[in-house]
Amino acid sequence: MSAYLDTRVTLFSGRLWTDDALEALIEMPDGAVAERLTGRGLPQLATGYDRTGGTPYPRSLEQRIIGQILDETRVLIRPLTGDARAFLDFWTARFEMSNVKTLLRGKMTDERPAAILARLIPMGSFGRLDNQDLAHAEDAGELLRRLEAGPYAGIVRRARRAFEQSHDPFSLDAALDRGYYEGLVQRAQPLEDTLGAPFRGLMANLVDRINLVWLLRYRFNYGLPPAQVYYLLVASRYSLSGTRLRELAALDSLEAVLAALPAAWRTQLPGAADIPAVFARMEHAATGQALRVLRSRVPEIARAFAYLILRERDLRAVRAVLRGRHLGLPDDDIRLALRRAAAGLS
Amino acid sequence: MLRAAPLLRIQLLMLASEAQDAALTLARFGVFNPAPCRVDALAESPAAAYREAWLEAEARLAKLLETCGDTGPVDLPTAAEAPSLADLDELNQWLKDVWTACLACHEDEARIAEVRSRLGALEDTLAKLEGLNVDLAHLLRPDSLLAVNIGSLPAVELRRVAEALAMTGYLVSRFDQAGEQVFAVIAGPRARHDEVRGLLAQAGWRELPVPDELRTHPQAARAWLEAERVRLDGQFGAARQVRDGLRDRLGPRLHEARLRLALARPLAEAAESGVRGKGGLAVLAGWVPKRQLGALRDTLDARFHGRYWLDLREPSPREIAEVPSLMRYPGWLAPFVPLVKSYGVPRYGEFDPALPFAFTYLLLFGAMFGDVGHGAAILVLAAAFARRLGRLAWVGVAAGAVSMLFGLLYGSFFGFEDLIDPLWLSPLHDPIRALTIAVAFGIGFIVFTLLANAYNKGVAGRAGEALFDSAGLAGLAFYLGAVGVLASWAGVLDLARPAAMLAGPGLVVVAAYKWHEARAGLGERILVTLIETLETVINLFSNTLSFMRVAAFSLNHVALALAVFTLAHGLDAAGHGIALVLGNIVIIGLEGGIVAIQALRLMYYEGFSRFFSGDGREFVPLRIGKA
Repeated sequence: MSAYLDTRVTLFSGRLWTDDALEALIEMPDGAVAERLTGRGLPQLATGYDRTGGTPYPRSLEQRIIGQILDETRVLIRPLTGDARAFLDFWTARFEMSNVKTLLRGKMTDERPAAILARLIPMGSFGRLDNQDLAHAEDAGELLRRLEAGPYAGIVRRARRAFEQSHDPFSLDAALDRGYYEGLVQRAQPLEDTLGAPFRGLMANLVDRINLVWLLRYRFNYGLPPAQVYYLLVASRYSLSGTRLRELAALDSLEAVLAALPAAWRTQLPGAADIPAVFARMEHAATGQALRVLRSRVPEIARAFAYLILRERDLRAVRAVLRGRHLGLPDDDIRLALRRAAAGLS
Repeated sequence: MLRAAPLLRIQLLMLASEAQDAALTLARFGVFNPAPCRVDALAESPAAAYREAWLEAEARLAKLLETCGDTGPVDLPTAAEAPSLADLDELNQWLKDVWTACLACHEDEARIAEVRSRLGALEDTLAKLEGLNVDLAHLLRPDSLLAVNIGSLPAVELRRVAEALAMTGYLVSRFDQAGEQVFAVIAGPRARHDEVRGLLAQAGWRELPVPDELRTHPQAARAWLEAERVRLDGQFGAARQVRDGLRDRLGPRLHEARLRLALARPLAEAAESGVRGKGGLAVLAGWVPKRQLGALRDTLDARFHGRYWLDLREPSPREIAEVPSLMRYPGWLAPFVPLVKSYGVPRYGEFDPALPFAFTYLLLFGAMFGDVGHGAAILVLAAAFARRLGRLAWVGVAAGAVSMLFGLLYGSFFGFEDLIDPLWLSPLHDPIRALTIAVAFGIGFIVFTLLANAYNKGVAGRAGEALFDSAGLAGLAFYLGAVGVLASWAGVLDLARPAAMLAGPGLVVVAAYKWHEARAGLGERILVTLIETLETVINLFSNTLSFMRVAAFSLNHVALALAVFTLAHGLDAAGHGIALVLGNIVIIGLEGGIVAIQALRLMYYEGFSRFFSGDGREFVPLRIGKA
């Protein structure tokens, strides 16, 4: 298992996009893009790009990007068993969680099943939900009850109770997101115990980053009270512990929150004045950390996880470039979009 | 039977308003396999809305039938027409209304059950508060500075909620638990109650209603709770009655809906492949057997009286991979077909191995498990469990019969080798001859597979592979020549010189072809050619030797029987009998199973892998009922 996964991760890591490669993609003539995408291990994107002039490709760019990530995860997961497999398997479940949100929104706006189904991400062998059946639920209530009988019962039950009280789509999304990440943290725990600091570092970075950005958004964009903000965050054992999150949630301004962060964090966020800037800097730091893990001699599962984090960031950047090209935007606008794409939440 | 029936590609052009009837007619015709229509000029999908409405209606009908129970078998009148899109939409809307009403009943029942459980909890709460001597009226006063709520929330949320509430000066006190729910009192400054409202909603907090009378007179509480329970029972009964009423009232209409949806199925299914159209016209494309073209025209004329246009053509070489294979088998061969299909479906035009598979499989099984007694046992067991095994029972019966035949040839009866004289040879007494015959059979089998491969490649238009590749005629020439040389060395034949003249050029042609096909630099090309040519030689001979297992298993059968007899001889009379019976059961069950798998393995790996691509598409005709 070790040699297979190590070799696979090393081979895959050669496909990651450097800033120069992205710059070249922006400036490349149309005819050469598909070939470059194939060369970088993105056959699904290349196929879609090739057909822009002819019959529309049946999948959207987002669907193809996620399809690509799932394909690579499928290869990496092959030799894994037990906790490691369960963790990476659940890592892909956030795409299915996004399908759950699409289904729920579709039902709330009374969309027809075919329209909802067309927007779902094809999960392939990672899929655990019967999308056909769910899309044909009569309304959000029936859909939630059907979901409660499925593999995400725990997460959905919580969301349903919240939704029944408020009928607010935000409650649903927040409950689903929190439920998912708490599930991920729970599945990471046994691996953190066996794999040690490199893996724990990746998880800590991910969860702390999510908690800080959610805290800032809920508190200062949505104006929620501190207690509710704290409740909506992911229960965590990392640098931003429960006590620290409570203290931060109680503060009244973004500047005060940033000033109250641990010293190591403040050095990563110089000059960040708004939430996107905070996220972009944290994302940059997370990329650096994932690259260090990928290039070091640490347990292969930690390297695989680091690769998947980096690959996703990569594909967000490629998506920004392809979309920009498709819309015929000037190169400088695509470069700007590229910087913003790096700040998109995973 | 040895290859798929010749098909024609048809495009049926008709009025879009009659598309559903055209699909129904083709489904009734029974041998139309829909396929995507690729006429660029026809850009619309006139059946997409039909399919969407049908899928929605089907889903709703399935849920209603689950609730109301099955309505009995659907008998479709031969003259019945398929519903139009407007009819289907109307039916879909009706099913939606009915299901919404049904869902409301379900929701009511679930809500009542939840309220009942909360009332039970409230009763327990009151009992506990009575014991504590707490003045509820004072505690729950709306004008007090202290806001107090009694309610329930999921147990897993309690800690998190308590931590969050503490940020606003609220306290949580848990006083009971029922399943995954904990019951708690939340108290804090009323001035900050708005701050916790959103948090409590998010956490799934359910307030327990505490009416005024409960706050003042604990005795009145019991009466109130009882009255509430009676009221809820009444509501529950009423909801149930509405649901049962729906069932009685809807039964006939649901049956009618089933019938109409069954008639609509063909167009909805065909639309999945893609029914195209433009303006008021629609086109259904697909494949039909060439032989039934006349019957198809008659059927369409009888239904549409000339209001259609049928365009036909032979499949083009470029689309061969997409053409489905329509195979027809006689009843006695059909049970063997699933064993072939578990490997793959023959490509259109490819040689279908089902018939030689059936004969060879039985032959190999009989040769490896030749025993009159054991064969008879298999035959009787397969016949006895025929109802449970279905068509597979026939495979068991045939295998048992062939095993009996080989038992006579080997002179073997329940492992006894001296009860009957062998009609041909006894593997135990002449093992070398048995091994030689097995290898000779293997040679014949491999020659057959090479010829079949050359044929398949030829019909697929890959003449180069058919003639020059290692599994083509050049490979066959090498193989036959090499076998001749080896047989001459062994003194069986006297053909060394002509055989070598056949083998040498055969191998040279194979190597030259490999060289031609390799797309690489000079060094890599040399390496690829050498390795692949060597692999050809090794594969052909290792596969031939693989057939020695046929003789080995026939010997193994005798050896196992001997082992059973040896064990039995060491026991007393009763033990002897039991050991013989159990031993024979083990031989039939275990060895019979192993031999069945080995015969299948020989067929798949030494046979099919050499000539059978198995990547064809099965002919799936449009049907009225579910596939």
